[in-house]
Amino acid sequence: MIQKKICMLGGFGVGKTSLVSRFVHSIFSDTYLTTIGVKIDKKTVDLGRERVDLILWDIHGEDDFQKVRMSYLRGSSGYLLVADGTRRASLDVALELHEQARLTVGHVPAILAINKADLASTWDIDPVALQALDLPVVRTSAKTGSEVEETFASLARAMNVT
Amino acid sequence: MAETRSGPDRGGAAPAVLTSDRAADGWRGVDDDDALAELRTLLIGQERDQLASILERLDDPAARRREVADVLPHVLLEHAADPRFMHALTPPIERAITASVRRNPAPLADALFPVMGPAIRKAVAAALSGMVETLNRALEQSLSWRSIAWRLEALRTGKSFAEVMLLHTLVYRVEQVFLIDRTSGLLLQHVTQGPAEVSDADMVSGMLTAIRDFVKDSFRGTDNDSLEAVKVGELSLWIEQGPRAVLAAVMRGSAPRAFRTTLQTALERIHLEFADELARFRDDASVFEGARPTLESCLHTELQTPAAKGHRTLWIALGVGALAFAVWAGLALRERSRWNSYLEALRSEPGIVVVSSGRRNGRHAVSGLRDPLARDPASLLSASGLGPADVDATWEPFYAASPALALARARQVLQPPDGVALALNHGVLSASGAAPLSWLESASRLAALIPGVSAFDGSTAAEAAVRAAIARLEGLTPLFVKGQATLAPGQDDVLRELVVRAAEMQRTAAAVGRRFRVEVIGHTDADGVPESNLPLSRARAALVHAALQRVAGDRFEILELGVGSNDPVVQSDSETDKQRNRRVTVRVTQVP
Repeated sequence: MIQKKICMLGGFGVGKTSLVSRFVHSIFSDTYLTTIGVKIDKKTVDLGRERVDLILWDIHGEDDFQKVRMSYLRGSSGYLLVADGTRRASLDVALELHEQARLTVGHVPAILAINKADLASTWDIDPVALQALDLPVVRTSAKTGSEVEETFASLARAMNVT
Repeated sequence: MAETRSGPDRGGAAPAVLTSDRAADGWRGVDDDDALAELRTLLIGQERDQLASILERLDDPAARRREVADVLPHVLLEHAADPRFMHALTPPIERAITASVRRNPAPLADALFPVMGPAIRKAVAAALSGMVETLNRALEQSLSWRSIAWRLEALRTGKSFAEVMLLHTLVYRVEQVFLIDRTSGLLLQHVTQGPAEVSDADMVSGMLTAIRDFVKDSFRGTDNDSLEAVKVGELSLWIEQGPRAVLAAVMRGSAPRAFRTTLQTALERIHLEFADELARFRDDASVFEGARPTLESCLHTELQTPAAKGHRTLWIALGVGALAFAVWAGLALRERSRWNSYLEALRSEPGIVVVSSGRRNGRHAVSGLRDPLARDPASLLSASGLGPADVDATWEPFYAASPALALARARQVLQPPDGVALALNHGVLSASGAAPLSWLESASRLAALIPGVSAFDGSTAAEAAVRAAIARLEGLTPLFVKGQATLAPGQDDVLRELVVRAAEMQRTAAAVGRRFRVEVIGHTDADGVPESNLPLSRARAALVHAALQRVAGDRFEILELGVGSNDPVVQSDSETDKQRNRRVTVRVTQVP
């Protein structure tokens, strides 16, 4: 069985945890996030030829009180950046985390998920700005579950190729 | 020759030049191969021979084999401890043995035969001794107080007895060992033993790594300082960190410090055996399957060695138990015999009927019927050695018809006067002794109402009463004045008493249904002549007769006699004695 460590990064309140909660196998409480700043879940992805266990490190969102511990990123094969489509600032945080993550783990596969796709009418993010970014962008919704499975699958595929 | 010999005397340099020139002429100019060969032989002949000999040895495989054969045993002996030799020799030897067995197992079997017998015997002996040990332990566990407590605990907590026993005798048990990639926290290998609750090991491994990072970051540890142990109640987690992998052991109980060394050794071995795999590891942990035996060697379990005093304690407990039982049995037996004797006493007691007996609330219990006049059952207790607190008694009152109780009841009801005794014979209550008439009357009326009494016989008492009345009547003797039929001074009272007694006598006679003759006899003293004394005595009798006549009913027949001085009380001339003779006496006889 192949297993990969991936991290979930994003600002405070962008919906990282709720984005995956329906799709992962979890044995730890959400309170771990606010206490030690990370919670481990597992997501098995079927890539056709083989199955990959993604060991998912859900890292506490960055806010004024708690900085993301970059040491949690070590050994990651990839990471998922999450931003809130209705808050422009959360995209900046995600991109800043992207920069920091690259310093820690190098150029590993990463995907930017713009969450709250169900609220697309109230989005605060310019689609053109997203096209200019150097990483794949998906629009997800924690509420409807749209694109979540696909995002994990494509991240797993990208990691398996490298 | 002389010149040549003197050459050196002239200077050191000149002959050398000369020699050089001559030599040059010789190499170039003198074409003499023999000479050259001779020179060669002279100069390097010995070395050439040696070279030829070496070349011959190198080219000759047989010679080289001989030489290697000479040195190889020495090399192996001198470098036996060098691990490189072991590594180098192990694979071919293993393959050789495998090939040998495949080709023909017989030679190896023959070779091993002498060692297999002892090995098998040893294994069987070890297994047997293990079994005996298990049996001993099982026996001890199943008999000790401790095991009873454990069984209760097992019942209470719903765990199996084996589990409870293990938890109590466990010094420590390593339940899980994780081998974790140091960088990514991915699980490389995981082994367990016992009833460990295994959560998803992949996630536990990740979380463990996160917690280590968290602790290190939070308390500013350097890269070499890391979390080494976590303790949660009975469970503890020991972490050993290597350059590329981390070993985490989850154990119950407290392991000795030496176990840390076990973990370190295991981790070092894994780093040694899987150096390349660890360096290359990215996502496929299947290559670490081979590390399982090493990890499993860390799954230690240590139980408390059973103390030798176990059996002694058991025997002491058994002895105390037997003694306690004997004492208890003795006490119970004594108690039982006391109780039985008490019951026997109750049963033989008149007026008490035991209906049921047994035990109630840890005390003896007895219930039945009791006549109010029967003895108090509690008064029989002390004779049996029991106390009032030992017995719970319930008595219903009843009238017992037994003679003793009926007699007692008759005494209580009839209250016989002093001197009167009651007896009961076949239901007939009889009274003896002089009883007042009034009592006899009421007794004959009440007696038949007393349970256990069918009739009353008062005749004896009545007879006695009559005799007593007669005696009292006959005891009264009124005295008279000298020569007259007049009562002496103070004798009025005697006569009055005589009348009262006569009346009483009359009533008694009526009660018993008899008739009496009362003879009233007058007397005189011896003074005077009989002709005057006889009429005087008769007059005195008449006086008394007249007094009695008033109370005499149909039961008396009164006769009046005068005997003069013929029947004196005393024969004397003193005035006092004469006065005693001047009297009237009364004699009562029954008329048939």
